[in-house]
This record gives sequence, structure tokens and C-alpha cells, in this order.
Amino acid sequence: MKVILKTEGLCKTFKLSAKQQKLQNTKKKTITAVDNLNFEAYEGEIYGLLGPNGAGKTTTLRILATLIKADNGDALVDGSSVKNEPDTVRSKIGFLTSELKLEDFFTPNYLFDFFAKIHHIDPEVSKKRKEELFKKFGIDEFAEVKVANLSTGMKQKTSLVISIVHDPNIIIFDEPTNGLDVLTAKVVTDFLTELKAQGKTIIISTHIFSLVEKLCDRAGVIINGKMVVCDTLKNLTAEKPLEDVFFDLYAESAGVKV
Amino acid sequence: MKNIITIMMKEFTRFFTDKRMVIMTIMPAVLIYVVYSFMGSTLGSAFAPDEDHKPWAYAVNVPDTVSQMISDSGVSILSINDDEIAETKDRINAREVDLLMVFPENFGELIQTQLDGLADGSSHTRAAPNVEIYFNSMEPNSHQTYFVVTAILDVYKTSLAPMFDINRGIEDADLASSEDFMATMIATMMPMLLMIFLYSGCMGLALESITGEKERGTLATLLVSPLKRSELAAGKILSLVVLSFLSGSITAVATILSLPNLMGTDGDVLDVAIYSITDYILLACVILSVLMLMVAMLSIISAFAKTVKEAGQAATPLMIVVMLVGVSGMFGGGAQTDPLYYLIPLYGSVQSMSGIFALDYSPLNIAIACASTLAYAGLGGYVLTKMFNSEKVMFSK
Repeated sequence: MKVILKTEGLCKTFKLSAKQQKLQNTKKKTITAVDNLNFEAYEGEIYGLLGPNGAGKTTTLRILATLIKADNGDALVDGSSVKNEPDTVRSKIGFLTSELKLEDFFTPNYLFDFFAKIHHIDPEVSKKRKEELFKKFGIDEFAEVKVANLSTGMKQKTSLVISIVHDPNIIIFDEPTNGLDVLTAKVVTDFLTELKAQGKTIIISTHIFSLVEKLCDRAGVIINGKMVVCDTLKNLTAEKPLEDVFFDLYAESAGVKV
Repeated sequence: MKNIITIMMKEFTRFFTDKRMVIMTIMPAVLIYVVYSFMGSTLGSAFAPDEDHKPWAYAVNVPDTVSQMISDSGVSILSINDDEIAETKDRINAREVDLLMVFPENFGELIQTQLDGLADGSSHTRAAPNVEIYFNSMEPNSHQTYFVVTAILDVYKTSLAPMFDINRGIEDADLASSEDFMATMIATMMPMLLMIFLYSGCMGLALESITGEKERGTLATLLVSPLKRSELAAGKILSLVVLSFLSGSITAVATILSLPNLMGTDGDVLDVAIYSITDYILLACVILSVLMLMVAMLSIISAFAKTVKEAGQAATPLMIVVMLVGVSGMFGGGAQTDPLYYLIPLYGSVQSMSGIFALDYSPLNIAIACASTLAYAGLGGYVLTKMFNSEKVMFSK
């Protein structure tokens, strides 16, 4: 199998303000969010980053999407370095996270066209793709409604569609079903399966075990910024359910009995 | 370049299809026109004498000759006694009486003594007779009567002892051309007004376009697209320059149209046809370059700020600097001639505007101002690009 995404000793620390130091009862001036993280994702698989809140999942994905820079280490996305070729990396990936918002003032139709232009998509191709994706997600009926007036689910669907406007081969989704009702969540998970069937590589971060079990071919468990295990779902759940595996790993790594 | 145009088109669509933003841009111009016109008519009527008013001057010991001269000019004279002076002063204060003249007793004899003194050279040994005139400067009719009476007394004084005349028989002694007069009027006010209008226009737009997008998380969506940060910075800056130019121009036109009303000149003073096409082209270059600099500065402030409110607070001190630099154009007796002054950011542009408006400028100095201002703006664009690259600036909460 071809490695399409590879991280090499990724490290990321954040400064702690005096207020944060007080809240966390620590004198440390920095906090390590990602600590020498190494993992690989293969072409055509769904890879899940599993971990509790604050484990470093989102930070890792933000480094992969070139939104933030790693203090140390690098990641290669389809052969392009996030450190040295951020613009190329961004053209190769589709990135979706809840912190990326669409302008309330514009309609899904306008925003799709706008981002298609930014990605230099041929207008004919863009038009066809828009029709397909809007129909698939039921956005077609709301194509001319301003984002501000869309429901939360429809906003999330529009964000998803716009994140893959350029039909990328690598799709990185941070907590893809967070805040969605079960129906919308199913539409999203079904679509991820469909993308996988098309040969796309998908990286998702989540703390929902069932989502990993349902979707992922392989998963890595991150605790306190460190990768504590990375294996196929089959191997990970050979002896016990993923949830139990995770709690054992957490107790072992964090020294806390759950 | 294609991406820059795409970003600019998005900014234009955002602006022109949002009725609120368009109204907010046009509203200052409308308000300026209405307020200036209203102020002009109100102030004009408050300080103009009443045309139907018949002026009255109360007088003590007024000589017949003087009384006749003043009466001939349309001001009626009412002679009063010494003991009525205090009461008359009170009535002037109460705006019931226009004016009071108090001549010395035996004014005629005193004048004759003074004239004799002039003849034998002894006039300097004694003080000239003094005429007291009381009026109320806050009452337009009283003020007008004062001007008439003092003018007549001046004529009377000169007629008693004619030493020399000034401009006898010459009607057009003021050799300044009407163009010079208009240019000076415009050059005094417009640089300051333009700087304020341009900055105000930029401020609202830049804050909304950069801090607003950052605050709402929509800038981050652009940052994960394959756009180069420099393209994003250039697209934002250029679109803001165009929109601010439009906003500033609308406000400037409203000001030019309303100034005659404010100054009560019925459109005679501000005839902008005195400027040539070259003047307008140079002015446009100066305005566009200074707008680039203003937008770059405001964009940096906007990118630093976490909220629109914070950006607004941070942009206010810069507004004061821009106003003070704008005011500097009102003083100094014309534009600076030393090219070094034109290298100073903002100040060089104000001096260029003053020179162009006063029709007295050096093209080299204007070129220096435009080139240096564009260089500073380019530096600002570079800083903004760096800021778009900085996670600390873009994503710190």
C-alpha cells in the first residue's frame, strides 16, 4: 500500500498565559500539545485519530492543513512538505473543522463558485460538481439562501461540500459529526464511505468510538500529544471492544484508572 | 493575479449587494451635505443684519455736521443727555438700541485747537479728542450700524486734515485673480477634509473586511485554501482601496457641493473648473497612494485585533494622527518646497494635495510623495502577509 501522508516527529507547544498557569495550577510556561508524533496513512483508507479532548488531535490536523506550524518535525502530504510547500499541500487536501466558517452574507451557490475559482477549477467542471454535490446533500433547494439563514445541519453540509470543491485526494475532517443530528451525521458518514470507495484517503479525528469502529480501516490513539498505539481496526479490536482498549491505554499512559 | 482578482470581486460583491453597507457609505455624504447646508443657512441668518431694520444711533454732544453725515447714510440720530448714558448702554446690551456715540463737550472747539496745533507743530503735546462708541457685536443690526458710523467718522476725520489718500479713483486694487482666490480657499480646507474622509471610509471597511472576517472565522476558511497569503493580502488591500476611494470621493463631492452653502457664497467661491486634467490626474495619484498606505496601516491594525471593537479602539489614535497631519496643510503659507518633506508618510501626501489645490506645486515633489507612499504601503502589505502567516496573530484567542 502506498503511504500518502506521513508525519515525522511532529511537535507543537503553546505558551500558557499567567491566567492559564493559575487555572492549571502549574508554573510551566508552555504546554505540549503534540509530542513527537509519527504516523502514516495509506492511500484509499480512512484513518482515525482517536483521543480525549485536549489530546492534540485538532492541533495535529491543523498542522497537516498548514493552518499552524509545527515547532519541530514535518509532515509529507502526497509528497509535499507542510513546512516548505504549504500552498501545494493546501491545494491537495480538503480540510473541514468547526472553526472554519462560511460568510453568513453569501449563499451556498456563490461560495461554491468562489472557492472553485480559488482552486482554479474549470467552470464547466465546477458547475457539474456543484449540481452533483448540492443534490446529494440536499443543498440544491437552499442554494440561494444566505448561509446566515440556513439550519446548523445545512451549514455543516455546505461547509463539507465547499471543503471538497476541488475534488481532493486527501480529505481531513476534524470531528466530522460533531453537533449534527443523527440524520445529518449519517449523510456525512455515508459520504465518507463513498469517498473511500472512490479511492480517496480520509483522515478524521474523533472521540466517538462507534464512528471509528464503523468507518476506519486504521486508527491511532493520541493521549497527551503522544501516539500510544497505531494499528488496524482489526488488530486493535481483536481481543476487546475499542472502548475498552482505549480506557486501558489511557490508564496506562496517563496513570489514571478510568 | 487571478486569485487577487477573485478576492477583490468577492469583496466588491460583499459590499455592493449589501444595502446596509452601501447606505452606511453614502449616509455620511448625505449628512455632511444636509448639516453643512443647514449650518450655513442658520449661521447666515443669525449673523446677517435685518434688511427691514431702521438703524438708530443715540448720541451725546453730537456736532451738527457729523449728525447730518450719519443721517444721510440712513442711520437716524437721537440726541440724549449725559445722564442717560448708563441707561442707554444697558439698552444696547439688551439689544433694544443699536449704538451710542459720546462726543466730548465742545467737540468743535477741541478739533479746532487740534488743527491749530497741527499748523504750529504743537499738536503732539496734547491728546486728540476722543469719541466713544458703544455697540453690541452679538446683535447683527448693532454691529452693522457700528461699521457704518465708524466709516463715516473716518471720512469726517480725513476731511478735517487731509494728509494723503489711498487708492483714490482706483476700483480694482486687489490684483489677485479669482482663480488664485478659489485655489487658496480650496487648498486651505480640502487636504484636511480629504484625509479625514478617506481615513473614515477606509476604517469602517478595513475593520469589517479583516477583523470582522477573522472574528467570524471566515478568514480561516480562506487560509486553508491554496491562496498565497500575499495574494490574500493584496486582494484585500486593493479592494479596500477601490471601495475607500469611492466612499471618500462621494463624501468629498458632497462637501464641495455643500461648502458654498456653508460659506454663504452661492457657489461663487468653489469653482472646481479652475483645475486642469493634469491637476486632477496628479490629485488622483496622490489620493490613491495615500489610500494604499491608510488601508495597509488599518489592515495591520485589523489583523492584530481580535474583535472589531478592539480594532476600532486601536484605529482611533491613528485617526487623530491623520487629522493632525491633515490640519498641517492649513498652515505654513503653501506647500513645502524641500523634497525631503515629501518622504514623510501622510505629511508628504498632504503637502502634495495642498500644492495641487493651490495650483503651485513641483511635479517632482509629488512623484516623490507618491512613490515613497506606495513603498510604505508595499511594506505594510508585506507585514500583512506575514501576519496572515502567523498563527499567533490569526488564531490567538
